[in-house]
Amino acid sequence: MTQNHYRERIKGIYDFIKENLYFNRPDMEIKGERFNSALMFSLLTGLNRGKELIIGEPGLGKTTSAEYVGSLLYRIPMGIIWGSEVSGHPEQTEEKIIGRPDLGKLNKGQEEVVWSNFAQIPVKIVDELNRLPETKQSMILDGVDRGNWEYLNEMIINEEYCLFATANYQDRGTNTIIAPMVDRFDVEVESRHPGPNIAYLVGKFDQKDRVLRNPKAENSLQKILTSKLSYQTKLRQMEEVCDGYGEFLKKKLGVQTVGLRDRKAIRGEIARMELDLDANAFTRMLLAELSFCYKYGQKRSVENCEEGCHFTGYLCHEVRNCASNRLPTSIKTYSQALAWLIGDSEVDVEHVKAVTPFTLAHRVQWKEEYLATKEKDKRDNPFQIHLAKDAVKTVFNRYGEQNEHLKRALAVGYRVFNGEALEPVDGDHPVYFEIKNDLGLEN
Amino acid sequence: MGIIPEEAIKKIWPRIRKKHLFPEIPIPKASEGDESVALEMKNKQITISTAYCDKIAHKMDAEEAVEALLDHGISHYTFCPWDFHTHLRLFAEAKRVIKDRERAKRAAGLFMDVAADTYCVKRKKTPLPEFYKHIDKGKVDEVIASLYQRIWGVDLRAKEDEGVVRRLARIPYLDKKQWDKSIQKFARVIKVLLEVEEEQDRQAGNQTSPMGDHGLDGYTLEEIDQGLRNFANQNVGLKEFKETFEDFKEELKEVGYGMEGGMGRGEGTPLDADLVYYMKLAESYSIPIKKMPMEKRGHLNPHSHCPWEIGRPFQDVDVWTSFGKIMPGITQTWNKIEGSTFGEREAVPNCIIIIDSSGSMTNPRKNLSYAVLGAACASDAYLRNDAEVAVYNFSDAPMGGKALVDFTSERTKIYQVLCKYFGGGTALNLNELDPLLEASERPDIFIITDMKITNLGKVIGYLNNIDNRITAVYIGENTYAMRFREAMEKKRNVSFYNVTKKEDIPKIVLGKIREYFQGNL
Amino acid sequence: MKNPFDDFKDHRTREREIPLDSIIQSRDRVMSSIIKGYEKLLEEEVKELVWLVQYNTVIKAYTLAEKVVKEFDYRAEDVEEFCYELDSTDKIPYLITGPAGIYISALCNYAKEEEIYLKLNDLKTQINLLGYRLPVGKKVIVEGNLGDFTGIGLEGGELVLEGNAKNYTGAGMKSGRIRVTKNIGLHTGEWMMGGEIHVGGRVRGMGKIVDGKVYEDEKLIYPRNYRQSNVYY
Repeated sequence: MTQNHYRERIKGIYDFIKENLYFNRPDMEIKGERFNSALMFSLLTGLNRGKELIIGEPGLGKTTSAEYVGSLLYRIPMGIIWGSEVSGHPEQTEEKIIGRPDLGKLNKGQEEVVWSNFAQIPVKIVDELNRLPETKQSMILDGVDRGNWEYLNEMIINEEYCLFATANYQDRGTNTIIAPMVDRFDVEVESRHPGPNIAYLVGKFDQKDRVLRNPKAENSLQKILTSKLSYQTKLRQMEEVCDGYGEFLKKKLGVQTVGLRDRKAIRGEIARMELDLDANAFTRMLLAELSFCYKYGQKRSVENCEEGCHFTGYLCHEVRNCASNRLPTSIKTYSQALAWLIGDSEVDVEHVKAVTPFTLAHRVQWKEEYLATKEKDKRDNPFQIHLAKDAVKTVFNRYGEQNEHLKRALAVGYRVFNGEALEPVDGDHPVYFEIKNDLGLEN
Repeated sequence: MGIIPEEAIKKIWPRIRKKHLFPEIPIPKASEGDESVALEMKNKQITISTAYCDKIAHKMDAEEAVEALLDHGISHYTFCPWDFHTHLRLFAEAKRVIKDRERAKRAAGLFMDVAADTYCVKRKKTPLPEFYKHIDKGKVDEVIASLYQRIWGVDLRAKEDEGVVRRLARIPYLDKKQWDKSIQKFARVIKVLLEVEEEQDRQAGNQTSPMGDHGLDGYTLEEIDQGLRNFANQNVGLKEFKETFEDFKEELKEVGYGMEGGMGRGEGTPLDADLVYYMKLAESYSIPIKKMPMEKRGHLNPHSHCPWEIGRPFQDVDVWTSFGKIMPGITQTWNKIEGSTFGEREAVPNCIIIIDSSGSMTNPRKNLSYAVLGAACASDAYLRNDAEVAVYNFSDAPMGGKALVDFTSERTKIYQVLCKYFGGGTALNLNELDPLLEASERPDIFIITDMKITNLGKVIGYLNNIDNRITAVYIGENTYAMRFREAMEKKRNVSFYNVTKKEDIPKIVLGKIREYFQGNL
Repeated sequence: MKNPFDDFKDHRTREREIPLDSIIQSRDRVMSSIIKGYEKLLEEEVKELVWLVQYNTVIKAYTLAEKVVKEFDYRAEDVEEFCYELDSTDKIPYLITGPAGIYISALCNYAKEEEIYLKLNDLKTQINLLGYRLPVGKKVIVEGNLGDFTGIGLEGGELVLEGNAKNYTGAGMKSGRIRVTKNIGLHTGEWMMGGEIHVGGRVRGMGKIVDGKVYEDEKLIYPRNYRQSNVYY
């Protein structure tokens, strides 16, 4: 199957959900194409085996959007998706999330694990993550991070999975999402209110998620999931049922979905998308501003900026914490996926610019003083995403001014690193200092 | 060659966007337009005149002409002036040399054109030189074209005025850091030409540049607002800010810029440069909005599970989650925690600002008054936290030297009273404070003065009898200030700050407000 | 370890070299030399930031300035730009108008151009001693106001000032012409030995003139209407 063919299918899924299931306005434009960010990033998350945090007011489709994407992208009937969700509340237990002992066997003194659907199926949805106590968030941490789930000395490893976690805004019932957990999310998006006219449509078609139900397939899958077969065998059998469900979707709804092999092929295509030099250099510039500290070597949340520091005008002065290494990975994979989806031959700076605010919003801890100057800004996004967009725009403006200079600096850096006796290029931005640091030279 | 339809623009637009690193501007449009003006930019929307393109299509490839125009327009957005602040700065510097406002604007516009075009020619592949070869040129345009010949190294068929071009060619147009000086040099040289051009225009009827004017249409209201804020914070004096603001007043009104930034935000109020200056300065001093407090409820509730270990008590074991088994690894026990809930909403109290505008204080309309700035910062801090502010501006109040505004959330009204200056004696009319104190529940009081108040004794007596939080900021040390301090020292609700450097007033005021608010964070 | 800059190994800069680049580079080089020359002059001639206009000091300063300016290549525009650099304290730590004027005079005298146009209207400081020893064949046109000793020791050149000058205009000039469109101050033509001074506005006071002519508003006021020094009229 050709690249175009896969792309058409994925776009077909997007269009189907947009037209029939998740009604909302497009709120981002890239290369002349308009998308709804929540839906688009959910799709990319599903393709990328990523992790997405969906925020929003109650009842605005946070969970349902993830369910639709999960169901169509992975060919899993809606009933199974519903049955596999973990809902965030304080009484959640490991047994409900991951697995429990087989009680019959336990009474006989044998340990055997009955894995939860959540642990087994590739689409993992945690509803209202921030209502889970922090201890339970930690429990999910490991599984979410690497796809391995352990209980009573047994383990299953998900080869393919994606995570969607929803969170309402802070209210009296919520905890914070712990920092290590937040950092593991690739993107944060908001499921927004669609406006009164589209909202009216939503009310008019309230049974729409039933279209993705298929009791026969659901029963089959449920049987497989609860069976005593090995996890690998279950996966093979599940794939057959899922393929059947895919046929059902094609015949009944006219939407062509993708199977396991297709998804692997798509991932291969996405991974082969190269970033052009501008995208590459801009990302480095952004990372430099989020991790650099002239005085202390790197940004640390326990250290304060010096009064009158030369780099006061850069993001390093406005943030408290240091960017993690997950950030560039998220930027790269999502930019690649977006470029692939649009049909571009390579990843350019526009893709990176579009994606980065969503990868950054939840990861940055801004200083109080900076927040105070921005709190009352006119905006069209939740505050965190607005700040991230603003920050990316600011850095991009700087990049626009000195992109050639920076690329030259990086090119010279390559040669110096290889041993050529050249002077590294100077510049008044943290990235030039970091280049020198990488070359082992003093600033 | 025919007119360029929108489809042709759509065809070249992706390539041009990529060339300029994807500027955030919408796809340009083509419209019938004027034969003399090729390009307009309004609210970031570039519009190309098909009539002009028709005209030039006889001399050069139409698509190339459109590309040149787009390169020019986009470079203004991505390089020079880039933002409204830079635009203002360039104009202000040009006006230092060319005292006439319109000529200064024209000089600034020409400088921006040269910088933007040169940037494009140096950094991108552009047909701009070819375009300039073919456009109709007035006297000044001819000089600019000959400048381009010199600095780009291309033949544009322009007749050179050697002396002028040699001077203009030495200016580092691509070095942003030197733009302030560069535009002065530019203006010095181009001044005479602009005078001649103005005279010729008067005779021949107004002629616009084919590249359009550099008005404020290209900026959004938010950009204008931000630009003014940056300009005010740039260490330009009040006088210079006012001058520049006045020079753009008509244009600002035309685009709908209101006192507090934009449409619907006090748009109807006439623009007052002094007020805008203090507003923009105060905006750079911000403290966070007070958050909703959380309180512990006081009793324990089951919250989450944790594995039971041998030796731990049984009473909290969750039988159901433990499947009826008591064994390590299976049994789960409840963790109980104190519930939390939102505390009683402690709203931020209102604030009364008492500011001295007697003769010994700086006139805020002539020079930067840190007292007024401090008061402005205080009022903004309270307003942002949904409180109201009243202002009592006094000089010789019993003789009528006072201005008062009752509690309000209207920023303009507050600033109007803050910026009033009486310059007379110094006496408070305390009776006028009573209604304010009664109108609101224990408002905070900020008093900013040099303490040389003639009825200081009465003031001390008055303040001693109230239990509102009072912050007194006084400038310089004198006997009055000492007397005030001694009399009020024992009052726990009163804080004093003696300021030797007036620049410290805003920080002191905000520091105190932060303390007040932090009690409730 | 993998080269972290590997992606950029094939990158070649795309920027075009345009003549502006070399013009600016050359200008910067020249300005730097001129400024260094001035600093050298100050170092050697100005002790403790005090410099008095005396016969010897002026000659000595000029001799050194001459020596310095002959070493580099510059144009008339560089001279004008140097005047503005003197005004701002960015590159030049302090301006002492006497030596500055001498230095600028040397720059004018040894410039390649025969006619030097200096637009100094926006200068905050008024330069003294401009036009010192301006030789035959050289013309300096200044737009703006100058300070004291304008055209001092003129040696046959033409100095045109479209503005005002202060005191001791044309002092000690041997030959040549000074034309001032507006007013000048006291001690005009002090020890003047030849040449002409034309003033479009008022002459506040005359100095001890040995020889030469002074015109006020095209009327000859010396030698036809000889006046004692510092007589006001």
